[in-house]
Amino acid sequence: MAWFSLVSLVVAGVLALATWHLSTGYMLDQRERSAIRQAKGNARLVTQVLERGSAGLDELLTGLVAEVESAVLLVDQGDLIVGGNSVDPTRLPTAFLDMVRNGRPAHQRTVLNGIPVQAVGLPLPAKAATYVEVSPMREMDRTFRFLSWLLIGGTLVSGLAGAVLGRWAATHSLRPLRQVTDAAAEAARGDLSVRLPATGDPDLIPLAAAFNDTAERLQQRVARDTRFAGDVSHELRSPLTTMLNAMSVLHRRSAELPAGTRQAVELLNTDLRRFRRMVDDLLEISRGDQDQDYSTFELVDLAGLVQATGPTLPESVLDIEARPWVLADRRRLERVVANLLDNAGRHGGGLVRLGVLTREDRARIEVDDAGPGVPEEAREHIFERFARGSPARREATDSGAGLGLALVTQHVRRHHGHAWVEARPGGGARFVVELPEVTD
Amino acid sequence: MTTPDPRSIAADHGLETEMTTATLLLVEDDARIREALRLALGDEGYDVVEAATGEQALTRLADEPLPDVVLLDLMLPGIDGLEVCARIREQGDLPIIMVTARTAPHEVIAGLEAGADDYVTKPVDAGELGARIRALLRRARAGENDLPSSLQLGDLTVRVTEGRVLRGSTEIPLTKTEFRLLCTLVTARGAVVTREQLLERVWDYGYFGDTRLLDVHIRRLRRKVEPDPGQPTHIVTVRGVGYRAESGAPPAQ
Repeated sequence: MAWFSLVSLVVAGVLALATWHLSTGYMLDQRERSAIRQAKGNARLVTQVLERGSAGLDELLTGLVAEVESAVLLVDQGDLIVGGNSVDPTRLPTAFLDMVRNGRPAHQRTVLNGIPVQAVGLPLPAKAATYVEVSPMREMDRTFRFLSWLLIGGTLVSGLAGAVLGRWAATHSLRPLRQVTDAAAEAARGDLSVRLPATGDPDLIPLAAAFNDTAERLQQRVARDTRFAGDVSHELRSPLTTMLNAMSVLHRRSAELPAGTRQAVELLNTDLRRFRRMVDDLLEISRGDQDQDYSTFELVDLAGLVQATGPTLPESVLDIEARPWVLADRRRLERVVANLLDNAGRHGGGLVRLGVLTREDRARIEVDDAGPGVPEEAREHIFERFARGSPARREATDSGAGLGLALVTQHVRRHHGHAWVEARPGGGARFVVELPEVTD
Repeated sequence: MTTPDPRSIAADHGLETEMTTATLLLVEDDARIREALRLALGDEGYDVVEAATGEQALTRLADEPLPDVVLLDLMLPGIDGLEVCARIREQGDLPIIMVTARTAPHEVIAGLEAGADDYVTKPVDAGELGARIRALLRRARAGENDLPSSLQLGDLTVRVTEGRVLRGSTEIPLTKTEFRLLCTLVTARGAVVTREQLLERVWDYGYFGDTRLLDVHIRRLRRKVEPDPGQPTHIVTVRGVGYRAESGAPPAQ
């Protein structure tokens, strides 16, 4: 926008300067010519009067002064005859006067008594006299002043108009481009259902079409992958049920087993449970991707739901600042809270605070933990599927299936909300879930 | 390795002994799952009777003694689980837990509408099933000790200790879960009972109780006790919070 106004200011300024030069040059030139023409005519009259003798010369000069509104000077063999009132021709530059006296016609623009004048000097060789006419240019000066104000004003107005136009362009004509940028950012955040609205701008039609096409293909591909994962998980249910129940018999009797076997059973049991959680989460994720059923959405007291989800939490951890209402699928939202609590316990060194609050018409859940926090560059990554903590922490016996936060993102998006992680003031991570608040 | 006798395992480990050993009818067409569940549930101390098809299940249920709980897979060859569920309901209030591989909302709801008391989704292990069964049996053996023997809700008489509900002198047939739900609401004496409280008191659920379970049961209960289920006057919804029992003088809305 600043560039826009600067450019228009410069262009207008250059144009104004050119206009000034051309027009003043032309006008001065015209004025000069007419002054010379007039002076020549008058000089002839003066010569004629001189030839007839000097009688009537004073009269003529007075008449000329009245006619041309200018001072007239006649130098005749050292005599100086001055006519005129407003300007004093004797104050003309000596170089100019000398030049005329030496027999060469001359003209010059100068300032006399603070008044801009046009002086024309003509030698009258026949009479060894010099005729000088000085005509003030008050009119022209006023015109020039007016013109200069007009041009300066015009330049400023054009600069201002440039600024306004630039602003308009930035906000209005670039809006479609901003839509593209926003949509691309939304897609990058993982919402592949974004599409650009139809546009009337012929420049943008191919761009919008290409964007929509890419998003569509990507979405289909992700949906295919997810469906596959869902199908596989579905098929895993039966053998997993068999394994889990056979394992529960073994596990119950592990005390009777020899130490080595017992250890093997423990290992198997731990991973079987992890496997099971993974299958559960995968099923939930693949279901969410395809589920178009929003009939389970109802008005929910967010604080009540959060309290019900963590009923065993100590009072000091709960921080219910507000009691916002949200439109939610209760089961999914409970899952969101449970997964965040699970995450805080598993990766965050334990829960420090579970808050419910409102910020500008948005309801918020905040889950603060006591861990080392999440480094800036990993904050987006951890919400992706199968993203898990650092390799070191993955060594731990049970680091979760890596789908918990992905489910959080998916469920929260389904509620038209956002989930992110930030640094908690005082160290640790703060996971935030923001949902549209329902106000009556 | 020979198959250990479940009862001997239970005895060996001194498991929490029920007063009488509960009998489960396990209806499941996948032989391996049936086998594993029989072992594990036996290990938990239950008597497990198996049925591989809906027909077998119904045949078994025609004979006395009836099992205490039916574990019913919904996907069965022949007569499917929904049908079996509905037929059991025609006969009485035998507690049913459906074991399903489906999680699509409408399928779960269909099962609950057919009369199931609770549901679990595969994969499921005997521990979780045991918890659901215990909650159901606790329900089935109703009769809280500190409750009055009879409560009135409008034209309904709730005989708490007998587990019966009467309108005038006519008995309204409720399943044990429906009865317990009604009791929980009525004994709150007009106070709002939140969904979470209902899920916990009626089904023993922590926070992962499914609202659909509650919704369908409320709907079933209203169909039985409300003069006009579309305009409930006994079991009133408190939007976003839960439910409240009212004496039923229709409020001017």
